[in-house]
Amino acid sequence: MPTTAFSHTVEDAVSNGRTPTRRTVDVVDVRELTPGVVRLTFRDEFTAANVKPAQFVNLYSSNPQHLMPRPFGVSDVDGDRVSLIFAVVGYGTDEFAHLKAGDRVDVLGPLGRPFDLRKDADYLLVGGGLGIPPLLEAAQALAGRDDCRAIAVLGYRDAHFADVYAARYADEVHSIDESEGNVLTLLERLWPELQESGRELIILSCGPTPMMKAVAEWASRRGVDAQLSMEQRMGCGYGTCVACTIDTRDGREKVCEAGPVFTAHQLGWDNK
Amino acid sequence: MNIEQELNETPTSVYAPHEWRHGTVVAGVPWKNPVGTASGTFNAYACGQFYDVSQMGSVTTKGVSPVEWLGNPGVRTAESPAGTVNAVGLQNPGVDHYLAHDLPYLKDLGATVIANVAGHCDDDYAQVVEKLAESDADMLEINVSCPNVTHGGMSVGTDPVALAKLMDRLRPMTDKPMIVKLTPNVTDIAAIARAAVEGGADCLSMINTLVGMRIDIRTGEPIIANRTGGVSGPAVFPVGLACVWRVRAALPDIPIIGIGGIDSGEKALEYLYAGANAVEVGGAALYDPTAPIRVALELEELLDSRPELTEKLAKGDTWR
Repeated sequence: MPTTAFSHTVEDAVSNGRTPTRRTVDVVDVRELTPGVVRLTFRDEFTAANVKPAQFVNLYSSNPQHLMPRPFGVSDVDGDRVSLIFAVVGYGTDEFAHLKAGDRVDVLGPLGRPFDLRKDADYLLVGGGLGIPPLLEAAQALAGRDDCRAIAVLGYRDAHFADVYAARYADEVHSIDESEGNVLTLLERLWPELQESGRELIILSCGPTPMMKAVAEWASRRGVDAQLSMEQRMGCGYGTCVACTIDTRDGREKVCEAGPVFTAHQLGWDNK
Repeated sequence: MNIEQELNETPTSVYAPHEWRHGTVVAGVPWKNPVGTASGTFNAYACGQFYDVSQMGSVTTKGVSPVEWLGNPGVRTAESPAGTVNAVGLQNPGVDHYLAHDLPYLKDLGATVIANVAGHCDDDYAQVVEKLAESDADMLEINVSCPNVTHGGMSVGTDPVALAKLMDRLRPMTDKPMIVKLTPNVTDIAAIARAAVEGGADCLSMINTLVGMRIDIRTGEPIIANRTGGVSGPAVFPVGLACVWRVRAALPDIPIIGIGGIDSGEKALEYLYAGANAVEVGGAALYDPTAPIRVALELEELLDSRPELTEKLAKGDTWR
């Protein structure tokens, strides 16, 4: 970003009733959880204080050839520290994976519509692979609520890289990898016990689209409401470019603004 | 204010209201400063959360069609070197929604509004212009340059005969200043510009995006569902600048809004020196939400030391 003599601090934005624009923050930790999967932590009071589960932040490359943002779901917050977990899939993620403590990176956010956690209920956090991070943030948000339980149901290709983070906040963590089955295998296994509790169940899910669709249909058959955090290739990430649309019962919606969270009903995945 | 106070003054905030020192006039319409937002990258609500959009010289809203358009299927965007390729296909809720929501919202804020008009055929454009003719929009911009729709858009803007025919129909429908937005995807942009002006255009804006694409080397297939899209961002800056230069040389008197790759006050100033009356910031807003207002503030500082240029702009004249 070109240097500017004009102030655009977070304090400035807040005092003028605006959302803070893109800003430069300090990286405090970068570690590889399993080959190709990285947890990056940066320090940003505004994101830390305001982010809600399933909201995301944009990160920007320092290379002016690569200008467009890369959106990442926030996985957890510790004081003013914000963590993301992502896979290295291209130029931008590779650059971020090679950042070190003390480096700086530009961020924008938090962005998007979060999971709705208003109800007192047992929340089933059903995640697949790199869809798990937003569910860790949901577990963290639910950890402070006596009237709710968070039951993580996590599916991996191989390494169970996020179990240790889920265990920090969730009441129960169940995980599985492809050698044994998938999240539906776990859901079937847990179902009798969940039914017995008599408490309202709500599914929050994020992962590959076919997995979420299967989870939504599983939930629908059992009368369980499901909220799905969707992914679509984004442009701006804040609602102005209209690149990241998906078709819903409410029309063609922007994932970055109307989502990323949609209900199974909005997506037409509830067989109703 | 004494000198010490002046030195200690906090820097101007991109978020705070500002007293603009250098206005411009575009086809008779006064702009607070010479920097607007470009169509397709501006959404009143999304952008308005970050900065006061009424502070811009103007805002150009996304193309509106007679009825809701769903646009192209996804994937709609791919990064390109120093830019982006997009093929949204003018998704918009239609002109009635625009008249009921976006336009009054922006006018209530005090914004100078350019309504971008989209169509798949001459009848579409005419229906939209008819509805906007008596609206509060300050200017209309006829979009004959979108590369991502199969009919209308660029197919009109690359054909001087079709463009003249369209303008003959639209021109008598309203007294509002009418801008024609030109595509760079032509051999001779001056020929198209001339056709637009002969058809009654009060102003020209340029450039819309350049046709481009990206291919996913894992699959060998285009990344964007529409296969090709429009390239914008800093990569297109010299292309837009040369288009303004050529059209200014061919048409000394027509007001021109320069667009393409502007992400700083310096680049905006280059467009003014090429002969533009004003500029618009487009692609930069996609990776820097406050880019438009920042460019306006940066340009203003650069204009402070250029009284010969600001005097011309204030009268609606141009540097060349």
